Amino acid sequence: MTQLIAGQLLNGAIVGTLYGIVALGVTLTFGITGIVNFALGVFMMLGAYAAWYFADTVGLPYPLAVLAAVGVTAAAGLAADQALFRFTRNNLVNGLLVSLGLIAVLEACALLVFTATPKEMHRVLPGIVMLGGLVLPKMKLVVFALLLTVIFATYAALTRTWTGRAAYAYAQNPEAAALMGVATARLQSGVVVYSCGLAGLGGALYAALYSLEPTLGSLFILKAVEAAILAGIGSVTGALLGGVILGVTEGVGSIYLPLAFRDAYGLVFLVLILLFKPAGLFAGRR
Amino acid sequence: MKRLAGTALVAAALLALPLATQSDFVLTILVFAFLQGMLAVSFNLVFGYAGQLSMFHAAAFGIAAYATHLFGKHLGVGYWGGVVLAAALVAAISVVVGAICFRFRLREFYFAVVTLAFSEMARLTVLNWNSMTNGSLGINLQERPIDGTLAWYYVALGALAITLVVCWRLVHSWMGRAFVAIRLNDELGDTLGINVFRYKLVAFTAGSIMAAFAGSLYAYFLGSLEPGLLSIDTSLGIIAMVLLGGRRAVAAPVLGALVLTALPHLIHFSAEIRSLVYGAILIFSILVMPQGIYGAAAQLIRRHA
Repeated sequence: MTQLIAGQLLNGAIVGTLYGIVALGVTLTFGITGIVNFALGVFMMLGAYAAWYFADTVGLPYPLAVLAAVGVTAAAGLAADQALFRFTRNNLVNGLLVSLGLIAVLEACALLVFTATPKEMHRVLPGIVMLGGLVLPKMKLVVFALLLTVIFATYAALTRTWTGRAAYAYAQNPEAAALMGVATARLQSGVVVYSCGLAGLGGALYAALYSLEPTLGSLFILKAVEAAILAGIGSVTGALLGGVILGVTEGVGSIYLPLAFRDAYGLVFLVLILLFKPAGLFAGRR
Repeated sequence: MKRLAGTALVAAALLALPLATQSDFVLTILVFAFLQGMLAVSFNLVFGYAGQLSMFHAAAFGIAAYATHLFGKHLGVGYWGGVVLAAALVAAISVVVGAICFRFRLREFYFAVVTLAFSEMARLTVLNWNSMTNGSLGINLQERPIDGTLAWYYVALGALAITLVVCWRLVHSWMGRAFVAIRLNDELGDTLGINVFRYKLVAFTAGSIMAAFAGSLYAYFLGSLEPGLLSIDTSLGIIAMVLLGGRRAVAAPVLGALVLTALPHLIHFSAEIRSLVYGAILIFSILVMPQGIYGAAAQLIRRHA
C-alpha cells in the first residue's frame, strides 16, 4: 500500500510538472497582457502533434523534433497574437471569448487533419529505472528533469536579466515601466509567444509519454488554469507548485476515490480556492 | 407604435408560415432555431444585460433535458410533469450555484471559471452515473409528447414568444435598470442602494429556468439524450449565437440562432466544420462586429434614414 501511494506521489509529481509548464504560460500571459489565454491548451496539442509528425513521419531524431515543435508553436503563437490577442489586451471577457473561439477553430482543424483516432509515437527512450522498489520509465524521469530545468531557467531569467526585470516592472506598473524605456508592445507579444512555446514544449514531451488526441488540449488547459489559480496567479514558482499539488492530489485521490471523477477533484479544489483564498494558496506569505 | 406594428407583422408572418410551406425540412430547421433562440435570449439576459458571463447555461439546458426524462420515468408524472419538475430542479441548483458565486463576489472572469467548473462537474456526473443516464452512450427517447413537425413548430414558436415577452418585461422594468447598472458598475450600483447580490441572483436563476424549458423541449424534439448537451461546446454555441445576433436588444440573439442553426443544414457541414465555423464567428464578432447583426443593421438604417 505504501508502495502504491509512493508510486502515485511520484507519478503525480511528474504529471504535475506538465500541468506546471502550461500553467507557467497562463501565469506569464496573465501578468503581462491581462488576459487568461485558454488557447494555450490547444498550442500544447499543436506541439504534441508537431513533435509526432517531425519524429515519426519526417524522421527527425526526437530532440530535434521537440525543438522543431517548439518553433512551430511559437510561430503559431506569434500569428495568433498579431491577428487576435493584440486587440483584447486587458479585457478578460473578450480575451476569454476569443481564446474559446480559437480553441474551437484549431481543435476542428486538428480533427480534420489528424482524425480522432489516437496517435502513438514510437518509444523514444525505452527502459525503466528501479527506485527503492518503484518502477519508473526512464522517459518520464527525463521529461520531469527537463521541465523542472525550463521552469527554473524561466524563473532565473525573470529575476536576473534586464528583460525579465522589465517584465516584472511592467506587471506592477505598466505606465512607469513604459516611461523607464520598456518597449511594452514588444514585451507583450514576446511573452505571449514565449508562453505558447512553453505549451508547445509541454506538448512535445507529452507526445513521448502518452497517446495523442485532438482534444488533449482542452483537458490540460483546465488543469493548467486550476494550477495557476491554485497557487496564486502571477507567480512563477507558484505555477509549478500548483501543478504538482494538482497532479499529486489526482494521483493519490484516485486510490481512495472513484476514478471516474478524477477530473472533478481539481475542479472542486479550484472552486474552494477561488471562494476562500482568491489570491492563491500561499498569498500573504511573501 | 412603429415597433409594435413591426412585432405584430413578424408574429403574423411566423404564425402563417406553415400555410406557405409544408416542407418538413424548413419547419425542422425553424423548430431547432426557435429552441436555440430561447437558449440564446435567456443567456443574453444574464450576459448582455446583467453582464455576467455564465458558463452554467449549457448545464441548466442539459440537466433539465435529462431530468425531464428521469422524472417522467421514475416518478410517473408524464412528460409535462417532468418538464415542470426539471425546471424546479434547475431553479434550485441555480440558486445554490448563483448564491455561492455572488455571495463571494466573484466577478467577470472568476465568475466564468467557477460556473464553468460547476458545469463540468454536472457533465462528469451525467457521464458517469451509468445506472441513471447510460453514460456516454446516452438515451434514445421513445416517448413522443408532441406529434408531428407542425405541432412542434407552434409549440417552439409559443415557447420562444413567452421567453421573449418575459425577458422584455424584465428588462424594461425597474429590475432591468438594476441589471444594466450592475453590468456597468456594480460597486456604484451598490452605493446607490441596488441590492447587487439579489438582482444578480434573479438574473442568473431566471436565465437558467428559461434554459431549462428550452432543454426539455430540445431533447424530445431531437429524440435523444447525451452528455454532449452539457458540454463546453454547447456553451460556445450559445455565446456565438448571442454575439452574432447582438447583445443590446432582447430579440437580437434570435437572429444569431437562426443563422447558426440554418447554416449547417443549408450547406452540408460535418461536425468538425461546424465547430470551426462557430469558433470563427465567435472571434469575428468580438473583434470586428461587437454589436452583432442587429447593431450593424441598426447603424446602417440610421445612416441612410
